[in-house]
Amino acid sequence: MDALVNQRIKQVLRGDQEAFGEIVELFKDKVFHLCYRMLGNRHEAEDIAQEAFVRAYVNIHSFNQKRKFSTWLYRIATNLCIDRIRKKKPDYFLDAEVAGTDGLTMYSQIAAEGKSPDSEVETLELQEIVQREILRLPDKYRVVIILRYIDDLSLNEISEVLDMPLGTVKTRIHRGREALRKQLSNL
Amino acid sequence: MKACPEEIVLYMQEHLDGDLSWEKEQVLKEHLQKCTACQEYFQELKRTIAYIQSTSHIQTPENFTMNVMARLPKEKRSEGVRR
Repeated sequence: MDALVNQRIKQVLRGDQEAFGEIVELFKDKVFHLCYRMLGNRHEAEDIAQEAFVRAYVNIHSFNQKRKFSTWLYRIATNLCIDRIRKKKPDYFLDAEVAGTDGLTMYSQIAAEGKSPDSEVETLELQEIVQREILRLPDKYRVVIILRYIDDLSLNEISEVLDMPLGTVKTRIHRGREALRKQLSNL
Repeated sequence: MKACPEEIVLYMQEHLDGDLSWEKEQVLKEHLQKCTACQEYFQELKRTIAYIQSTSHIQTPENFTMNVMARLPKEKRSEGVRR
C-alpha cells in the first residue's frame, strides 16, 4: 500500500493530476468516516473530507515520503474538523445529524425520547445514542477516541497525527473512555 | 465497602491500552477477583469500547472522488491526461 501510494505521489508531483484520483479512492472511506464521526453531519463531513484531499493535493510537495501518508492525511482532516467545530460551537450539537437516520437531527431526537419495542430499531437507536454521546465529548477527547476506536490507530500514530506527546494522548483516551462510560452507563 | 487502591482504575485504563506491565497486571487481577464493584466498573469500560466500535456502518457519498477532483486547482492540470 505505502509503495503504491508513494508511486502515485511521485506521479502527482510530476503534474499528473489524475494519479491523485487513485489516492482519493484509497483513502476516501477512512477520511469521510473520520470527519463524519467528528462532525456528526453527512453534508459537513463530505465538505470537510473533500477539503482535506484538496489541501493534501495543494501541499503534496511538503509531504515527506519516508513517513506514512495516512498519518499526514489524517492530520489535515482532523485539523479541519476541529477548526469547523470551533467555528460553530454554540449550535453544532443540536444541529448534528444522527447516525443512520438520514437527516434526523438532535432536535428530533429530543422530541422522540421514548423507547421502541422493535429490536432492529433498538440497534439503530443504540448506535444513534453512542454517536450522540461521542459528539457530546469535548473535541480534544472526541478526536482521540475516534482515531483509536473507529480508525483503529495505535497510540503512537495518534500522537503523530495530533502532534501531541504520547503521555497526553494516553491521558485523553483515559478521560474520554471514562466520560463515555459515565454517559453510556445506563444503557 | 472498603476503599479500593487508587491506582486500580489507572491499571484498568492501561490494560485497555495494552500498556500494563506484567507485575501491575497481577495486582489488577488479584484485586478484581475479590472486588465486585471494580469488576463491574471494568466491564463497563470494556462495554463502552464495544459500543464505540459498534457505530461503524457508514457509507461514503457517491461521486466523492469525482467531486474532489473537480475542486482541485485547475492550473496544475496542464501536464496531466488530456481530454
